[in-house]
Amino acid sequence: MDFHYTFSALVAARALLAFAPLPDALKYSQQLSSPLTSYARLKEGVYLFSHGIDPYSGGLFRHSPLLLSAFTTLLPLKDPISKLLWTACDAAAAWSLVKIWRLRQRVGKSSRDGLIAALYLLNPYLFLPSLALSTSSLENTALLVAVAFACERRSSASILLLAILTHLSFSSIIYILPIFLLLTSSPVSNLASPRPFALDFKGLRKAVLPLVGEYFAYTTVLTAASTLVCGGSRAWVEKTWGSFFLLPDLTPNPGLWWYFFTEMFDHFRPFFLMVFSLHLLIYVLPITIKFQHDLLYATFLMAGVSATFKPYPTLSDPGLFLSLWSLFPETYSYLRHPIVTALIHLHGSLLLPLFNHLWLATGTGNANFFYASTLVFGIANGAGLIDAIWAGLATAIPVKDGDWDVGQE
Amino acid sequence: MFSALIYSFLFLSAHVFSIHAQEFFQEQLTLRPHRDGTVLGHFAFTTLLKSATPREPETIRIEDTSQHYTLFPLALGQVLREYAITELHLSLNAGKWSYDRWGYPEEDGVGTGAELWAWMAEGPGASVDERWRGLRSNLAGLFCASLGSMDEQRTTSPSLTFLPEGDLPGPSTPYQLRHGTLPSENVCTENLTPFLKLLPCKSLSGIASLLNPHRLFDADWHGMGIHVRYVENAGVEVRLTFQGVFDPVRYSTDGKRDWSLHSIFDRTIQKTCPVARHSKIRLISTTDAVDVSPAPNTFNAAFSVYDVNTVSKPLDISMQWSNESHFEYPLSLDSPPPTHISVRRTLKGTEQSRGQLAIVIENHQDKQIKASYLETMPWLLQFHLNSIQVKWNSAPRDDLMSIVSYIPPVPHSRPTLLQSVLTLPPNGTMDLTIDVTKPFLRYTEHPPDAQRGWDLPPAVFRPLIIANDSNLRRLPRIYTPILLVDLATPDFSMPYNVIIMSCTLIALIFGSVFNLLTRKFVLTKIPNEPPQ
Repeated sequence: MDFHYTFSALVAARALLAFAPLPDALKYSQQLSSPLTSYARLKEGVYLFSHGIDPYSGGLFRHSPLLLSAFTTLLPLKDPISKLLWTACDAAAAWSLVKIWRLRQRVGKSSRDGLIAALYLLNPYLFLPSLALSTSSLENTALLVAVAFACERRSSASILLLAILTHLSFSSIIYILPIFLLLTSSPVSNLASPRPFALDFKGLRKAVLPLVGEYFAYTTVLTAASTLVCGGSRAWVEKTWGSFFLLPDLTPNPGLWWYFFTEMFDHFRPFFLMVFSLHLLIYVLPITIKFQHDLLYATFLMAGVSATFKPYPTLSDPGLFLSLWSLFPETYSYLRHPIVTALIHLHGSLLLPLFNHLWLATGTGNANFFYASTLVFGIANGAGLIDAIWAGLATAIPVKDGDWDVGQE
Repeated sequence: MFSALIYSFLFLSAHVFSIHAQEFFQEQLTLRPHRDGTVLGHFAFTTLLKSATPREPETIRIEDTSQHYTLFPLALGQVLREYAITELHLSLNAGKWSYDRWGYPEEDGVGTGAELWAWMAEGPGASVDERWRGLRSNLAGLFCASLGSMDEQRTTSPSLTFLPEGDLPGPSTPYQLRHGTLPSENVCTENLTPFLKLLPCKSLSGIASLLNPHRLFDADWHGMGIHVRYVENAGVEVRLTFQGVFDPVRYSTDGKRDWSLHSIFDRTIQKTCPVARHSKIRLISTTDAVDVSPAPNTFNAAFSVYDVNTVSKPLDISMQWSNESHFEYPLSLDSPPPTHISVRRTLKGTEQSRGQLAIVIENHQDKQIKASYLETMPWLLQFHLNSIQVKWNSAPRDDLMSIVSYIPPVPHSRPTLLQSVLTLPPNGTMDLTIDVTKPFLRYTEHPPDAQRGWDLPPAVFRPLIIANDSNLRRLPRIYTPILLVDLATPDFSMPYNVIIMSCTLIALIFGSVFNLLTRKFVLTKIPNEPPQ
């Protein structure tokens, strides 16, 4: 079947879903929208802003001033418009994913295109947050479009989107390094033939420095624009970016931070906040160095790191990681425990809403139930990340016959 | 003999000094029978420090002139001077004041728990917030109440509803209001004892001798208040009040609502307080046919007055419904209702992460009323202002509510302040709903017995009616009952377990990833299985 028909049908199905009546359980689900991405809070912020009250003077609104200005001026924040916008963003993200696939395979079109779009648009981890109008869907779109531009070597567009992405979600800075290097190399799969990065240090510096400069220019412009939107007040920095380091809102989410810092002794809180924030950054350099021959794969692994360890994750983050996996079919045969990972994921994703409901709605379970399910979900994401790294590295060592096995020294 | 000496000395000295320092003390008890058989007793002990002015904040760093009082409570006077307080109101109440059954109270401040508000002049030396903090801790010590925990997480400045009751000296001096509530604070004997110590006659004579803690704290509703205000051309006035709603039907053995001072307070007035210039008992008349004894000194259609200083002692006022053999509780509420508006406030929703605040306001008047509506909500409940829905007789009418000011809450530090004005058309019901988010607290922020939930302060309404002379007349404040919010609790025994388990998981993933990234991949030959 022609890809365009498949894609249109998929988007139409998603739009239909978006306009279906949405149960409150999804609308307010803590798995689907975090305090930083919740639509109800975005609406509150826009309401306060349009009534002349600084939304950043309170603690409820933690979205970027860019979203605030966009939804007060360009787009009215009405439910039908938002539903269309979120569906359009998902469609753009799925389209970008297909484009990345085509660029990686160096083909104009392929038989897998429809499958890849479907894997994005029909991934429940992705479309459920989108139905709940969580702004994490917009962040995913920004990332995928930025990567698609990077694969096309359209550096300015890619860097602009990356600047917007890191502005919206500060923990996305872990994508910067692999995407910058991707801009100077190619998205074509080199997993089977690893080789050192094409450019030496000098060449690299020459190629990357202008990109870094451009990124900082965009970031400065966005920051200045945000400050301008807030009438010159810098309170938004602490309320938006600051919450990634300070974790002021302990609303449960599927990540590992919230219960840890709910139960943290007050005098250790700053120390562990620092450890957790740095821990997220620790993965960037080693993974980029190890996968310097295939930076798209490094970007994919960053999505896995982000899904597991970011401070305010929603199901969109593991969803992005899983959907990105569709780009790398060459690694599938090297996965060590895909069934186990899939089963833990299934286990985790069934337990999360169940235990959240038992704890907060019916009152028959306590916080430990939900905490346990976030641990299971953390194991699932971690297992996926570890297996993805293994498969990515093992692809380089094909085993022809059954007498040989790949191992580590 | 000895006590008589002391008394004559007290009387003499008080007499001499009160003329010299111009201090006046008067006491009054208001008794008001209600239709549901209860009796409101309202004690007011007023001391006026003639020609005194509140301390100016400019002088706060300078040694204060020494204060000598004879009748004015010294402990309170020192606090007022120390923090340069112009006006102060502290109330400690227990129970739920039922406006529909009892009408307006004699004292406005009937919100459950503790409420403290003060007007202070701004000035160099010490900031208003520093002085507010000092005032709280000093009053906490003075009245044995936990006012110290009325910190910045509970402090707002709702100047629309809490206007000064006295005058603010200095036309150009800027003044600031600080207001705090502590709905879970209870009032009991440990608060009454220091309260009685501030009275010139303690509870030994005069009207104050009726303040019997065993009966006061057994009342259906009871509360004490300390009110300090400055009245221009008069001076600084301290009013110590105690209100209680007593239920004689509950005390009586034959189910009658007849009452006397003795049956309510288990005491009668034996002697007068010698320093009181006026000592009066006011008995509000009822429409029922009742026998009142002894005969009052003066009376009119609205109330009878007894002058305790002149009436024969021991004084035991009683009221009897002689043609009533048994008291029947009224099955319907008063018609017309005793207040201009009725307010009900509930927190709806079963989830611990979100809910809805619903307020029902009924206007009983056949003319339009405006009412200010105030919420001073701690950050334990966060409003979604965009979700406010106003309905008048079930039809949406968003124009009836106008928000005057809104200060959003900051987690762990600042409460919400929502001041608005509602327009209530004649005879009807307004339904107001706001979606709320319930936050999640750190485990150290929960109080002991965390599963009980948190008491939330009352909302305060202040109806404004257009009086005959077409001026806006402010009516007494109306407090809603307090709410209880059930916030999600973590497992308090888990800190170590969570740290251990989360860190183990992170270390496991971290270790595996770095193991994969750093160790070299090799091919190993699998030895062939020997044939069986």
